[in-house]
Amino acid sequence: MIRFIFFVMVALLAAAPAYAVDGKQILEQVDKNLAPESYELYRKLINIEPDGKKKEFVLFTVKKGSDKIAGLFISPASEKGRSTLRLGENMWLYIPNVGKPIRITSLQSVIGGVFNNSDILQLDYSVEYDVTQVEDQGKEHLLHLKAKTKTVAYDQLKMWVDKEKVQPTKIECLTEASMLIKTIYFKDIQDFGGGIVRPATVETDSPLYKGYKSIMLFANFKKREVADEVFTLTFMPNIDSLR
Amino acid sequence: MTKRSLYNFLWVILVLATPCLSEEYKFELEEIEKKPYHVGGYLELRPTLFGLDRDAALYKLRFYDRDEGKTTEQVTSIAQLDGSLEKGIARLFARANFELDYTYLGWSSQGSLFEGYLSLKPDRSWDLRLGKQTMKWGKGYAWNPVAFVDRLKNPDEPDLNLEGFFMASVDFVRSFDGTLKTLSFTPVLLPAYGDMNDDFGETGKLNVAAKLYLLYYDTDIDFMFLSEGSRSARYGFDFSRNLLTNLEVHGEFAWITDSRRTVIDQTGRTSQTESDVASFLLGLRYLSVQETTYIFEYYHNGQGFTQDEVEKFFSFINRGYEAYVSTRTDTILKRAQNLSESGYGRPNVMKDYLYLRISQKEPFDILYFTPAITWIFNIDDQSFSLAPELVYTGITNLELRLKGVVLAGESFTEYGEKQNDYRIELRARYYF
Repeated sequence: MIRFIFFVMVALLAAAPAYAVDGKQILEQVDKNLAPESYELYRKLINIEPDGKKKEFVLFTVKKGSDKIAGLFISPASEKGRSTLRLGENMWLYIPNVGKPIRITSLQSVIGGVFNNSDILQLDYSVEYDVTQVEDQGKEHLLHLKAKTKTVAYDQLKMWVDKEKVQPTKIECLTEASMLIKTIYFKDIQDFGGGIVRPATVETDSPLYKGYKSIMLFANFKKREVADEVFTLTFMPNIDSLR
Repeated sequence: MTKRSLYNFLWVILVLATPCLSEEYKFELEEIEKKPYHVGGYLELRPTLFGLDRDAALYKLRFYDRDEGKTTEQVTSIAQLDGSLEKGIARLFARANFELDYTYLGWSSQGSLFEGYLSLKPDRSWDLRLGKQTMKWGKGYAWNPVAFVDRLKNPDEPDLNLEGFFMASVDFVRSFDGTLKTLSFTPVLLPAYGDMNDDFGETGKLNVAAKLYLLYYDTDIDFMFLSEGSRSARYGFDFSRNLLTNLEVHGEFAWITDSRRTVIDQTGRTSQTESDVASFLLGLRYLSVQETTYIFEYYHNGQGFTQDEVEKFFSFINRGYEAYVSTRTDTILKRAQNLSESGYGRPNVMKDYLYLRISQKEPFDILYFTPAITWIFNIDDQSFSLAPELVYTGITNLELRLKGVVLAGESFTEYGEKQNDYRIELRARYYF
């Protein structure tokens, strides 16, 4: 009997890290499938109000490595030239009128609506989160993620991952007290070329904004390596020169 | 209709409807196409009502020879145009501002080139610029004591574009792995000869300035200087850092050598003082869970006037006004106007100020609606301005802002002696 209990305990102890490793591997694979490490892309953000009224923004984004990402609004005219930069946990916003970059926080919204800065300047999930639990839900894994630091916008995520494609289908963003802030739905898997196959539409809704919805559409997603100097405050007014 | 034909009908409707649904969220390639040129800007219309303070010194200085009643109106229309042209490593950029005003004095207009420069970028690390440009040094929101080569910004409207100076500048930037992530160096040459930059200071001088920027331990740090030339030599530094995801702190310090001020005494005699002074600013930006943003700053203006000096200036105006009423001669008031233009009339002329701006993002689930209130408090004389505002940006490219400003303070205080008691304005700005 003692041998049996010992065997079960050893098996359990061995299984626990295996789960954690699996979850980490799944999350890293999700990151790889969503985007190459360095890329450029265009996104259209559409805020939809309960009465159907829409406001659209077009954003150019360039990312390098695990912690450098910059974005530039190219429309509408009122936002044109506005750029955002993220270097790890540091974020800045450059407004042409103001003429100099100002530090911003990840929770702040650059454009209003459901999207905030960290949605627009999203780093890899595995850079910001640890997998705390993996649930098997038939065709999907449910990953429970916990932010590695307090500086991450959402303390917890619940990520549903398609087992076959290893792509997220839905993410719930939660506060430390497990309050739901927003739900992100990944749709319309497309081949962008260069081995990038990923959802081309990301929809977001939030219980904090009842009846409102935000849609993010992706285009011209491709691998690109740019100089590190692009991801500096000095370069922020010049991001358009990369297009 | 049979059940089968009903299903067929519904199927056809569904098939026809599907492309419409996907139509809704189209992302066309022409939306992201880049042209070698760009033309944009905004048109602004701003009617304003001023409530006049007929007992205030600055009212007497401006309106001593006319009676405009208790209120006066102004309509301002602005066209700000910017354009750029890019070819290879070169980019030409220009921003011009045209303003047409209707005030109690009638119509007036002015146009100026805010910026106009040629930029050359041989690679990502270098940017050489020649022409009229703004530098916008400093981390403060309302004030920037280290903005050595820029015009003074108005703390009441700190986000407005400013007119630049003619300069030659270079940006050199390098990135690193480790605690020092970014280093950039910006040397600047600002010539003041003849008409060129004649409002920067003494002419016939070549001014040299530079800024060194570091992103070190996740903190933005700048060191800057302006050599002696049109203005006295000055040295400074600033910093900015996020302490939490929702809390940022920033500061600026400027050491200004041989700072000159023209001050007036009780008899109306003016004298010049010259001394080394320090100006500094400490501030924070905090975002609450309810998405309320607080910007708070303390500013010490080393070049500012003391309460006693400002009181003497207001007394001088009152004396001039009494002289005008009894003798109809405005000699003293004209002198006071000159003094006002040479220093006493600048925004925030005294030494110590607090700034607080509270803005609430989209309250009551009203998207694109931001109410805010701004308070500027003169610590030295306890006078203040309070400015509530409502901003709505829900219509693409149109920004509507309703703003009120109340100025309050005792006699002989900065805000108490302003010509207005209050101001109400509606600003409609259309971007194109």
